[in-house]
Amino acid sequence: MKKGIILFIVSLISVSFFMVSCSKDKTAVKKIVVATDATWPPMEYVDENKKIVGFDIDYLTAAAKEAGFEVEFQNTAWDGIFAGLAANKYDAVCSSVTITDERKKTMDFSIPYVSIGQTIVVKKELNGLEELSQFKGKKVGAQIGTTGAIEISKYKEITLKTYDEIGLAIEDLAKGRIDAVVCDNPIAANYALLNPKYKEVLKIVGKPFTTEEYGVAVAKGNKEVLDLINAGISKVKEKGIDKELEKKWLR
Amino acid sequence: MAKIEEKQSKQKIEITDGVLIPARDDSSIFSAWRISFYGAIAALVVLPFLSPEPYSHVLKFIIGFDENWRFDIGNSGLVKTFEVTVLSIFFALFIGLLVGLGRISRISFINRLCTVYVEVIRGIPLLVQLFYIYYALAKFVKIMDISAAVIAMAICYGAYIGEIFRAGIQSIPKGQMEAALALGMSRSQAIYRIILPQTIKVVLPPIGNEFIALLKDSSLVSILAVSDLLRRGREYASTSFYYFETYTMVAIIYLILTLFFSRLVAIMEERMKINANQS
Repeated sequence: MKKGIILFIVSLISVSFFMVSCSKDKTAVKKIVVATDATWPPMEYVDENKKIVGFDIDYLTAAAKEAGFEVEFQNTAWDGIFAGLAANKYDAVCSSVTITDERKKTMDFSIPYVSIGQTIVVKKELNGLEELSQFKGKKVGAQIGTTGAIEISKYKEITLKTYDEIGLAIEDLAKGRIDAVVCDNPIAANYALLNPKYKEVLKIVGKPFTTEEYGVAVAKGNKEVLDLINAGISKVKEKGIDKELEKKWLR
Repeated sequence: MAKIEEKQSKQKIEITDGVLIPARDDSSIFSAWRISFYGAIAALVVLPFLSPEPYSHVLKFIIGFDENWRFDIGNSGLVKTFEVTVLSIFFALFIGLLVGLGRISRISFINRLCTVYVEVIRGIPLLVQLFYIYYALAKFVKIMDISAAVIAMAICYGAYIGEIFRAGIQSIPKGQMEAALALGMSRSQAIYRIILPQTIKVVLPPIGNEFIALLKDSSLVSILAVSDLLRRGREYASTSFYYFETYTMVAIIYLILTLFFSRLVAIMEERMKINANQS
Protein backbone atom coordinates (compact mmCIF):
# COMPACT_ATOMS: atom_id res chain seq x y z
CA MET A 1 0.00 0.00 0.00
CA LYS A 2 2.79 2.35 1.01
CA LYS A 3 4.58 1.63 -2.24
CA GLY A 4 1.44 2.39 -4.15
CA ILE A 5 1.11 5.80 -2.53
CA ILE A 6 4.74 6.67 -3.19
CA LEU A 7 4.39 5.57 -6.78
CA PHE A 8 1.28 7.68 -7.13
CA ILE A 9 2.97 10.77 -5.75
CA VAL A 10 6.04 10.27 -7.93
CA SER A 11 3.95 9.92 -11.05
CA LEU A 12 1.89 12.98 -10.07
CA ILE A 13 5.07 15.05 -9.72
CA SER A 14 6.52 13.84 -12.99
CA VAL A 15 3.29 14.52 -14.85
CA SER A 16 3.12 18.06 -13.49
CA PHE A 17 6.76 18.63 -14.44
CA PHE A 18 5.96 17.40 -17.91
CA MET A 19 3.06 19.81 -18.21
CA VAL A 20 5.14 22.73 -16.95
CA SER A 21 7.89 21.99 -19.44
CA CYS A 22 5.32 21.73 -22.23
CA SER A 23 3.76 25.07 -21.45
CA LYS A 24 7.22 26.62 -21.27
CA ASP A 25 7.91 25.49 -24.81
CA LYS A 26 4.92 27.31 -26.13
CA THR A 27 5.91 30.69 -24.79
CA ALA A 28 9.47 30.42 -26.12
CA VAL A 29 10.52 30.68 -29.76
CA LYS A 30 8.93 27.98 -31.89
CA LYS A 31 11.34 25.12 -32.30
CA ILE A 32 11.04 22.99 -35.41
CA VAL A 33 12.60 19.54 -35.42
CA VAL A 34 13.79 18.70 -38.92
CA ALA A 35 14.74 15.21 -40.08
CA THR A 36 17.55 14.83 -42.57
CA ASP A 37 19.36 11.84 -44.00
CA ALA A 38 22.90 13.10 -43.63
CA THR A 39 24.47 10.80 -46.23
CA TRP A 40 24.03 13.03 -49.23
CA PRO A 41 27.01 15.35 -49.67
CA PRO A 42 27.14 18.27 -50.30
CA MET A 43 23.45 18.79 -49.49
CA GLU A 44 23.56 17.22 -46.05
CA TYR A 45 26.22 15.04 -44.51
CA VAL A 46 28.11 14.45 -41.29
CA ASP A 47 31.51 16.16 -41.25
CA GLU A 48 34.70 15.14 -39.40
CA ASN A 49 33.40 16.75 -36.22
CA LYS A 50 30.25 14.61 -36.37
CA LYS A 51 28.18 17.69 -37.08
CA ILE A 52 25.45 17.67 -39.69
CA VAL A 53 26.44 20.20 -42.34
CA GLY A 54 25.61 21.01 -45.95
CA PHE A 55 23.63 23.22 -48.29
CA ASP A 56 20.20 22.24 -46.96
CA ILE A 57 21.33 22.69 -43.39
CA ASP A 58 22.73 26.18 -44.01
CA TYR A 59 19.69 27.12 -46.06
CA LEU A 60 17.14 26.12 -43.46
CA THR A 61 19.19 27.61 -40.64
CA ALA A 62 19.25 30.91 -42.55
CA ALA A 63 15.52 30.64 -43.19
CA ALA A 64 14.92 30.02 -39.49
CA LYS A 65 16.92 33.09 -38.57
CA GLU A 66 14.96 35.22 -41.02
CA ALA A 67 11.54 33.96 -39.97
CA GLY A 68 12.34 33.78 -36.27
CA PHE A 69 12.13 30.13 -35.37
CA GLU A 70 14.61 27.59 -34.11
CA VAL A 71 15.63 24.45 -36.01
CA GLU A 72 17.00 21.25 -34.66
CA PHE A 73 18.29 18.68 -37.14
CA GLN A 74 17.82 15.02 -36.54
CA ASN A 75 19.71 12.43 -38.59
CA THR A 76 17.23 9.86 -39.91
CA ALA A 77 17.56 6.96 -42.37
CA TRP A 78 16.06 7.83 -45.73
CA ASP A 79 13.82 4.85 -46.29
CA GLY A 80 11.72 5.54 -43.22
CA ILE A 81 11.99 9.30 -43.21
CA PHE A 82 8.46 9.98 -44.52
CA ALA A 83 6.94 7.39 -42.23
CA GLY A 84 8.44 9.28 -39.29
CA LEU A 85 7.00 12.52 -40.64
CA ALA A 86 3.54 10.99 -40.88
CA ALA A 87 3.91 9.68 -37.33
CA ASN A 88 4.86 13.18 -36.10
CA LYS A 89 8.28 12.12 -34.88
CA TYR A 90 9.55 15.42 -36.24
CA ASP A 91 7.96 18.52 -37.77
CA ALA A 92 9.61 18.61 -41.18
CA VAL A 93 11.94 16.81 -43.56
CA CYS A 94 14.64 18.84 -45.23
CA SER A 95 16.79 16.29 -46.96
CA SER A 96 17.00 17.04 -50.69
CA VAL A 97 13.39 16.02 -51.08
CA THR A 98 12.21 16.38 -54.66
CA ILE A 99 8.65 17.67 -54.92
CA THR A 100 6.66 15.01 -56.81
CA ASP A 101 2.93 14.54 -57.34
CA GLU A 102 3.15 11.10 -55.76
CA ARG A 103 4.72 12.52 -52.60
CA LYS A 104 2.26 15.44 -52.51
CA LYS A 105 -0.50 12.93 -51.84
CA THR A 106 0.94 12.02 -48.46
CA MET A 107 2.68 15.22 -47.37
CA ASP A 108 2.74 18.98 -47.91
CA PHE A 109 5.67 20.83 -49.44
CA SER A 110 7.15 24.27 -48.90
CA ILE A 111 7.91 26.50 -51.86
CA PRO A 112 10.84 25.05 -53.84
CA TYR A 113 14.25 26.26 -52.69
CA VAL A 114 16.64 24.87 -55.29
CA SER A 115 16.38 22.96 -58.55
CA ILE A 116 18.52 20.04 -59.62
CA GLY A 117 18.45 17.13 -62.07
CA GLN A 118 19.25 13.43 -62.10
CA THR A 119 22.70 12.57 -63.47
CA ILE A 120 24.47 9.36 -64.39
CA VAL A 121 27.84 8.52 -62.85
CA VAL A 122 29.97 5.79 -64.42
CA LYS A 123 33.53 4.54 -64.28
CA LYS A 124 36.13 6.48 -66.24
CA GLU A 125 36.77 3.56 -68.63
CA LEU A 126 33.15 3.33 -69.75
CA ASN A 127 32.59 5.25 -72.99
CA GLY A 128 29.66 5.67 -75.35
CA LEU A 129 26.84 5.32 -72.84
CA GLU A 130 25.28 8.65 -71.99
CA GLU A 131 21.58 8.08 -71.54
CA LEU A 132 19.73 5.84 -69.15
CA SER A 133 17.99 4.04 -72.05
CA GLN A 134 21.41 2.82 -73.21
CA PHE A 135 21.97 0.91 -69.98
CA LYS A 136 19.60 -1.94 -70.84
CA GLY A 137 20.74 -5.26 -69.45
CA LYS A 138 23.12 -3.54 -67.05
CA LYS A 139 23.08 -2.99 -63.32
CA VAL A 140 22.37 0.56 -62.24
CA GLY A 141 22.37 1.65 -58.60
CA ALA A 142 20.61 4.39 -56.66
CA GLN A 143 19.61 5.16 -53.12
CA ILE A 144 16.40 3.44 -52.08
CA GLY A 145 13.26 5.52 -52.52
CA THR A 146 14.97 8.43 -54.30
CA THR A 147 13.84 9.96 -57.57
CA GLY A 148 16.96 8.40 -59.11
CA ALA A 149 15.67 4.93 -58.20
CA ILE A 150 12.23 5.82 -59.53
CA GLU A 151 13.73 6.97 -62.87
CA ILE A 152 15.72 3.73 -63.23
CA SER A 153 12.70 1.57 -62.42
CA LYS A 154 10.92 3.09 -65.44
CA TYR A 155 13.22 0.95 -67.61
CA LYS A 156 12.19 -2.67 -67.14
CA GLU A 157 15.34 -4.04 -68.78
CA ILE A 158 17.69 -2.31 -66.37
CA THR A 159 18.50 -4.17 -63.18
CA LEU A 160 17.92 -1.64 -60.41
CA LYS A 161 20.03 -2.05 -57.30
CA THR A 162 18.90 0.01 -54.35
CA TYR A 163 21.24 1.00 -51.55
CA ASP A 164 20.59 2.38 -48.09
CA GLU A 165 23.04 5.18 -48.71
CA ILE A 166 24.28 6.77 -51.91
CA GLY A 167 27.87 6.40 -50.68
CA LEU A 168 27.54 2.62 -50.69
CA ALA A 169 26.26 2.72 -54.29
CA ILE A 170 29.20 4.90 -55.34
CA GLU A 171 31.60 2.53 -53.60
CA ASP A 172 30.09 -0.45 -55.43
CA LEU A 173 30.39 1.44 -58.71
CA ALA A 174 34.05 2.16 -58.04
CA LYS A 175 34.56 -1.53 -57.22
CA GLY A 176 32.91 -2.50 -60.50
CA ARG A 177 29.95 -4.36 -59.02
CA ILE A 178 27.47 -2.13 -60.84
CA ASP A 179 27.72 -0.21 -64.12
CA ALA A 180 26.29 3.17 -63.18
CA VAL A 181 24.74 5.21 -60.37
CA VAL A 182 21.92 7.71 -60.80
CA CYS A 183 21.64 10.57 -58.31
CA ASP A 184 21.03 14.31 -58.03
CA ASN A 185 23.65 16.34 -59.91
CA PRO A 186 25.18 18.15 -56.88
CA ILE A 187 25.81 14.78 -55.25
CA ALA A 188 27.17 13.29 -58.46
CA ALA A 189 29.51 16.27 -58.80
CA ASN A 190 30.61 15.95 -55.19
CA TYR A 191 31.62 12.31 -55.63
CA ALA A 192 32.90 12.27 -59.21
CA LEU A 193 34.62 15.66 -59.36
CA LEU A 194 35.63 16.60 -55.81
CA ASN A 195 36.01 13.46 -53.73
CA PRO A 196 39.73 12.61 -53.62
CA LYS A 197 39.00 8.89 -53.47
CA TYR A 198 36.64 8.75 -56.45
CA LYS A 199 37.53 11.62 -58.78
CA GLU A 200 40.24 9.57 -60.48
CA VAL A 201 37.93 6.60 -61.01
CA LEU A 202 34.49 8.01 -61.76
CA LYS A 203 32.98 10.50 -64.19
CA ILE A 204 29.63 12.07 -64.97
CA VAL A 205 28.11 11.35 -68.38
CA GLY A 206 25.46 13.30 -70.28
CA LYS A 207 23.45 16.19 -68.94
CA PRO A 208 21.03 16.08 -66.03
CA PHE A 209 18.02 14.34 -67.59
CA THR A 210 15.28 15.50 -65.22
CA THR A 211 14.35 18.86 -63.76
CA GLU A 212 13.38 18.61 -60.15
CA GLU A 213 12.82 20.99 -57.32
CA TYR A 214 13.65 20.44 -53.70
CA GLY A 215 11.12 21.40 -51.07
CA VAL A 216 10.83 21.02 -47.31
CA ALA A 217 8.21 18.39 -46.50
CA VAL A 218 5.82 18.65 -43.57
CA ALA A 219 3.03 16.38 -42.44
CA LYS A 220 -0.21 16.80 -44.39
CA GLY A 221 -2.10 19.81 -43.03
CA ASN A 222 0.64 21.10 -40.72
CA LYS A 223 0.05 24.70 -41.79
CA GLU A 224 1.71 26.32 -38.78
CA VAL A 225 5.14 24.87 -39.54
CA LEU A 226 4.73 25.18 -43.29
CA ASP A 227 3.96 28.91 -43.08
CA LEU A 228 7.02 29.55 -40.92
CA ILE A 229 9.29 27.65 -43.29
CA ASN A 230 7.80 29.32 -46.38
CA ALA A 231 8.25 32.75 -44.83
CA GLY A 232 11.90 31.90 -44.09
CA ILE A 233 12.60 30.58 -47.56
CA SER A 234 11.11 33.63 -49.30
CA LYS A 235 13.17 35.97 -47.13
CA VAL A 236 16.34 34.01 -47.88
CA LYS A 237 15.57 34.34 -51.59
CA GLU A 238 14.77 38.05 -51.26
CA LYS A 239 18.03 38.82 -49.54
CA GLY A 240 20.04 36.74 -52.01
CA ILE A 241 21.41 34.48 -49.28
CA ASP A 242 20.49 31.48 -51.43
CA LYS A 243 22.94 32.56 -54.17
CA GLU A 244 25.74 32.78 -51.61
CA LEU A 245 24.94 29.33 -50.30
CA GLU A 246 24.82 27.90 -53.82
CA LYS A 247 28.23 29.40 -54.46
CA LYS A 248 29.55 28.00 -51.21
CA TRP A 249 28.22 24.45 -51.56
CA LEU A 250 27.24 23.74 -55.16
CA ARG A 251 29.60 25.75 -57.36
CA MET B 1 21.38 -20.56 -31.07
CA ALA B 2 21.23 -24.17 -30.17
CA LYS B 3 22.68 -25.20 -26.92
CA ILE B 4 23.72 -28.74 -26.71
CA GLU B 5 23.55 -30.85 -23.66
CA GLU B 6 25.61 -33.93 -23.56
CA LYS B 7 24.04 -36.96 -22.06
CA GLN B 8 25.84 -40.22 -22.29
CA SER B 9 22.78 -42.35 -21.88
CA LYS B 10 20.15 -40.71 -24.06
CA GLN B 11 22.05 -38.89 -26.85
CA LYS B 12 19.60 -36.07 -26.56
CA ILE B 13 20.32 -32.59 -27.80
CA GLU B 14 18.40 -29.87 -26.11
CA ILE B 15 17.50 -26.71 -27.95
CA THR B 16 17.04 -23.45 -26.11
CA ASP B 17 15.53 -21.81 -29.16
CA GLY B 18 12.60 -24.12 -28.57
CA VAL B 19 9.86 -21.76 -29.67
CA LEU B 20 10.74 -22.54 -33.24
CA ILE B 21 9.88 -26.17 -32.93
CA PRO B 22 6.29 -26.99 -32.05
CA ALA B 23 5.75 -29.28 -29.11
CA ARG B 24 4.98 -32.75 -30.32
CA ASP B 25 2.36 -33.57 -27.75
CA ASP B 26 0.38 -30.43 -28.49
CA SER B 27 -2.12 -32.05 -30.81
CA SER B 28 -5.24 -29.99 -30.16
CA ILE B 29 -6.84 -28.20 -33.10
CA PHE B 30 -5.92 -24.83 -31.60
CA SER B 31 -2.25 -25.45 -31.04
CA ALA B 32 -0.07 -22.36 -31.08
CA TRP B 33 1.49 -23.48 -34.32
CA ARG B 34 -1.85 -23.99 -36.07
CA ILE B 35 -3.20 -20.66 -34.90
CA SER B 36 -0.19 -18.74 -36.13
CA PHE B 37 0.34 -20.68 -39.35
CA TYR B 38 -3.24 -20.72 -40.60
CA GLY B 39 -3.80 -17.22 -39.24
CA ALA B 40 -0.87 -15.96 -41.30
CA ILE B 41 -2.07 -17.76 -44.42
CA ALA B 42 -5.56 -16.38 -43.92
CA ALA B 43 -4.16 -12.86 -43.57
CA LEU B 44 -2.06 -13.36 -46.70
CA VAL B 45 -5.14 -14.33 -48.70
CA VAL B 46 -7.78 -12.11 -47.13
CA LEU B 47 -5.90 -8.80 -46.99
CA PRO B 48 -5.16 -8.53 -50.75
CA PHE B 49 -8.71 -9.70 -51.45
CA LEU B 50 -10.33 -7.11 -49.20
CA SER B 51 -8.18 -4.16 -50.25
CA PRO B 52 -6.24 -4.89 -53.45
CA GLU B 53 -4.73 -1.41 -53.26
CA PRO B 54 -2.13 -1.61 -51.79
CA TYR B 55 -1.95 -5.18 -50.41
CA SER B 56 -2.10 -7.05 -53.67
CA HIS B 57 0.38 -4.63 -55.24
CA VAL B 58 2.76 -5.15 -52.35
CA LEU B 59 2.43 -8.90 -52.76
CA LYS B 60 3.04 -8.69 -56.51
CA PHE B 61 6.07 -6.51 -55.99
CA ILE B 62 7.82 -8.49 -53.28
CA ILE B 63 7.04 -11.99 -54.53
CA GLY B 64 7.75 -10.95 -58.10
CA PHE B 65 4.65 -11.13 -60.25
CA ASP B 66 4.30 -8.74 -63.18
CA GLU B 67 1.08 -6.87 -64.06
CA ASN B 68 -0.60 -9.99 -65.43
CA TRP B 69 0.30 -12.09 -62.39
CA ARG B 70 2.98 -13.93 -64.32
CA PHE B 71 5.82 -15.07 -62.11
CA ASP B 72 9.00 -13.20 -62.88
CA ILE B 73 11.78 -15.26 -61.35
CA GLY B 74 14.51 -12.64 -61.85
CA ASN B 75 12.63 -10.01 -59.86
CA SER B 76 11.37 -12.25 -57.09
CA GLY B 77 12.36 -11.29 -53.59
CA LEU B 78 11.12 -14.67 -52.39
CA VAL B 79 13.37 -16.58 -54.79
CA LYS B 80 16.34 -14.40 -53.79
CA THR B 81 15.72 -15.11 -50.11
CA PHE B 82 15.59 -18.85 -50.81
CA GLU B 83 18.67 -18.65 -52.98
CA VAL B 84 20.69 -16.97 -50.24
CA THR B 85 19.34 -19.30 -47.53
CA VAL B 86 19.85 -22.59 -49.38
CA LEU B 87 23.30 -21.74 -50.72
CA SER B 88 24.39 -20.43 -47.31
CA ILE B 89 23.19 -23.47 -45.38
CA PHE B 90 24.88 -25.76 -47.92
CA PHE B 91 28.27 -24.10 -47.51
CA ALA B 92 27.74 -23.63 -43.78
CA LEU B 93 27.16 -27.39 -43.38
CA PHE B 94 30.37 -28.08 -45.26
CA ILE B 95 32.36 -25.58 -43.17
CA GLY B 96 30.59 -26.78 -40.01
CA LEU B 97 31.50 -30.41 -40.57
CA LEU B 98 35.15 -29.54 -41.13
CA VAL B 99 35.21 -27.28 -38.09
CA GLY B 100 33.40 -29.84 -35.95
CA LEU B 101 35.95 -32.49 -36.87
CA GLY B 102 38.75 -29.99 -36.39
CA ARG B 103 37.49 -29.14 -32.92
CA ILE B 104 37.87 -32.77 -31.78
CA SER B 105 41.10 -33.26 -33.69
CA ARG B 106 44.13 -34.43 -31.74
CA ILE B 107 46.44 -32.40 -33.92
CA SER B 108 46.77 -29.33 -31.76
CA PHE B 109 47.37 -26.91 -34.65
CA ILE B 110 44.11 -27.84 -36.41
CA ASN B 111 42.25 -27.94 -33.12
CA ARG B 112 43.49 -24.48 -32.15
CA LEU B 113 42.78 -23.07 -35.61
CA CYS B 114 39.17 -24.27 -35.58
CA THR B 115 38.61 -23.09 -32.03
CA VAL B 116 39.96 -19.64 -32.85
CA TYR B 117 37.68 -19.51 -35.90
CA VAL B 118 34.64 -20.38 -33.82
CA GLU B 119 35.54 -17.89 -31.11
CA VAL B 120 36.21 -15.05 -33.54
CA ILE B 121 33.15 -15.58 -35.70
CA ARG B 122 30.76 -16.07 -32.81
CA GLY B 123 32.05 -12.85 -31.29
CA ILE B 124 31.21 -10.65 -34.28
CA PRO B 125 27.64 -9.70 -35.13
CA LEU B 126 26.47 -11.09 -38.45
CA LEU B 127 25.57 -7.62 -39.67
CA VAL B 128 29.13 -6.46 -39.07
CA GLN B 129 30.48 -9.57 -40.81
CA LEU B 130 28.32 -8.84 -43.84
CA PHE B 131 29.58 -5.27 -44.07
CA TYR B 132 33.10 -6.49 -43.52
CA ILE B 133 33.11 -9.10 -46.24
CA TYR B 134 31.23 -6.94 -48.72
CA TYR B 135 32.80 -3.53 -48.28
CA ALA B 136 36.01 -3.97 -46.27
CA LEU B 137 37.38 -7.04 -48.05
CA ALA B 138 36.43 -5.54 -51.43
CA LYS B 139 39.72 -3.72 -51.08
CA PHE B 140 41.51 -6.98 -51.85
CA VAL B 141 39.07 -9.26 -53.66
CA LYS B 142 36.04 -8.46 -55.75
CA ILE B 143 33.09 -10.59 -54.68
CA MET B 144 29.79 -10.08 -56.46
CA ASP B 145 26.80 -9.15 -54.34
CA ILE B 146 25.01 -12.42 -53.78
CA SER B 147 28.23 -14.43 -53.37
CA ALA B 148 29.44 -11.97 -50.75
CA ALA B 149 26.18 -12.47 -48.88
CA VAL B 150 26.38 -16.25 -49.15
CA ILE B 151 30.04 -16.34 -48.12
CA ALA B 152 29.42 -14.16 -45.07
CA MET B 153 26.37 -16.15 -43.97
CA ALA B 154 28.17 -19.47 -44.55
CA ILE B 155 31.24 -18.38 -42.59
CA CYS B 156 29.09 -17.15 -39.73
CA TYR B 157 26.75 -20.12 -39.54
CA GLY B 158 29.64 -22.51 -40.20
CA ALA B 159 30.94 -21.62 -36.75
CA TYR B 160 27.63 -22.34 -35.03
CA ILE B 161 27.03 -25.53 -37.00
CA GLY B 162 30.60 -26.57 -36.26
CA GLU B 163 29.75 -26.42 -32.57
CA ILE B 164 26.67 -28.55 -33.19
CA PHE B 165 28.75 -31.16 -35.00
CA ARG B 166 31.35 -31.15 -32.23
CA ALA B 167 28.78 -31.62 -29.51
CA GLY B 168 27.00 -34.21 -31.64
CA ILE B 169 30.17 -36.23 -32.08
CA GLN B 170 30.99 -35.96 -28.39
CA SER B 171 27.49 -37.06 -27.46
CA ILE B 172 28.09 -40.50 -28.98
CA PRO B 173 28.96 -42.88 -26.10
CA LYS B 174 32.67 -43.48 -25.68
CA GLY B 175 32.03 -47.23 -25.89
CA GLN B 176 31.33 -46.89 -29.61
CA MET B 177 34.77 -45.56 -30.29
CA GLU B 178 36.42 -48.05 -27.97
CA ALA B 179 34.62 -50.95 -29.62
CA ALA B 180 35.63 -49.73 -33.08
CA LEU B 181 39.25 -49.40 -32.02
CA ALA B 182 39.11 -52.83 -30.42
CA LEU B 183 37.91 -54.26 -33.73
CA GLY B 184 41.08 -52.96 -35.31
CA MET B 185 39.83 -49.79 -36.97
CA SER B 186 42.00 -46.71 -36.98
CA ARG B 187 40.70 -43.61 -35.20
CA SER B 188 39.77 -41.87 -38.43
CA GLN B 189 38.08 -45.01 -39.78
CA ALA B 190 36.11 -45.25 -36.58
CA ILE B 191 35.00 -41.65 -36.89
CA TYR B 192 33.86 -41.94 -40.50
CA ARG B 193 32.25 -45.38 -40.25
CA ILE B 194 30.91 -45.53 -36.70
CA ILE B 195 30.70 -42.11 -35.09
CA LEU B 196 29.65 -39.77 -37.92
CA PRO B 197 26.67 -41.82 -39.16
CA GLN B 198 25.29 -41.77 -35.62
CA THR B 199 26.12 -38.10 -35.24
CA ILE B 200 24.05 -37.14 -38.28
CA LYS B 201 20.93 -38.44 -36.54
CA VAL B 202 21.63 -36.46 -33.40
CA VAL B 203 22.53 -33.20 -35.11
CA LEU B 204 19.79 -33.07 -37.74
CA PRO B 205 17.14 -31.39 -35.55
CA PRO B 206 19.44 -28.61 -34.26
CA ILE B 207 20.72 -28.09 -37.79
CA GLY B 208 17.15 -27.75 -38.99
CA ASN B 209 16.78 -25.17 -36.29
CA GLU B 210 19.85 -23.34 -37.56
CA PHE B 211 18.33 -23.43 -41.04
CA ILE B 212 15.28 -21.58 -39.76
CA ALA B 213 17.44 -19.07 -37.92
CA LEU B 214 19.45 -18.57 -41.10
CA LEU B 215 16.28 -18.05 -43.11
CA LYS B 216 15.35 -15.24 -40.75
CA ASP B 217 18.85 -13.79 -40.66
CA SER B 218 18.96 -13.79 -44.45
CA SER B 219 16.90 -10.61 -44.21
CA LEU B 220 20.13 -8.92 -43.10
CA VAL B 221 21.62 -9.30 -46.58
CA SER B 222 19.16 -6.69 -47.78
CA ILE B 223 21.72 -4.12 -46.61
CA LEU B 224 24.09 -5.38 -49.31
CA ALA B 225 21.60 -4.30 -51.98
CA VAL B 226 20.64 -7.96 -52.48
CA SER B 227 17.02 -7.74 -53.55
CA ASP B 228 15.56 -10.24 -51.11
CA LEU B 229 12.08 -10.13 -49.57
CA LEU B 230 12.89 -7.35 -47.13
CA ARG B 231 14.74 -5.18 -49.67
CA ARG B 232 11.83 -5.54 -52.12
CA GLY B 233 9.46 -4.53 -49.37
CA ARG B 234 11.57 -1.53 -48.46
CA GLU B 235 11.79 -0.50 -52.11
CA TYR B 236 8.02 -0.63 -52.38
CA ALA B 237 7.40 1.20 -49.12
CA SER B 238 9.93 3.94 -49.77
CA THR B 239 8.27 5.06 -52.98
CA SER B 240 4.61 4.29 -52.25
CA PHE B 241 4.68 5.27 -48.54
CA TYR B 242 2.49 2.27 -47.65
CA TYR B 243 4.79 1.38 -44.77
CA PHE B 244 2.25 -0.41 -42.61
CA GLU B 245 0.82 -2.51 -45.41
CA THR B 246 4.20 -3.40 -46.91
CA TYR B 247 5.91 -4.51 -43.72
CA THR B 248 2.80 -6.40 -42.64
CA MET B 249 3.01 -8.46 -45.82
CA VAL B 250 6.76 -8.97 -45.49
CA ALA B 251 6.34 -10.12 -41.88
CA ILE B 252 3.52 -12.49 -42.80
CA ILE B 253 5.56 -14.12 -45.57
CA TYR B 254 8.55 -14.63 -43.28
CA LEU B 255 6.26 -16.02 -40.61
CA ILE B 256 4.67 -18.53 -42.98
CA LEU B 257 8.09 -19.67 -44.17
CA THR B 258 9.57 -20.15 -40.72
CA LEU B 259 6.47 -21.84 -39.33
CA PHE B 260 6.35 -24.17 -42.32
CA PHE B 261 9.99 -25.17 -41.93
CA SER B 262 9.78 -25.49 -38.16
CA ARG B 263 6.97 -28.00 -38.69
CA LEU B 264 9.16 -29.93 -41.12
CA VAL B 265 11.97 -30.01 -38.58
CA ALA B 266 9.57 -31.21 -35.90
CA ILE B 267 8.28 -34.00 -38.15
CA MET B 268 11.84 -34.96 -38.99
CA GLU B 269 12.74 -35.10 -35.33
CA GLU B 270 9.75 -37.31 -34.66
CA ARG B 271 10.76 -39.75 -37.41
CA MET B 272 14.27 -39.89 -35.99
CA LYS B 273 12.87 -40.78 -32.59
CA ILE B 274 10.83 -43.63 -34.03
CA ASN B 275 13.82 -44.94 -35.93
CA ALA B 276 15.99 -44.71 -32.86
CA ASN B 277 13.47 -46.63 -30.77
CA GLN B 278 13.15 -49.40 -33.35
CA SER B 279 16.85 -50.02 -33.73
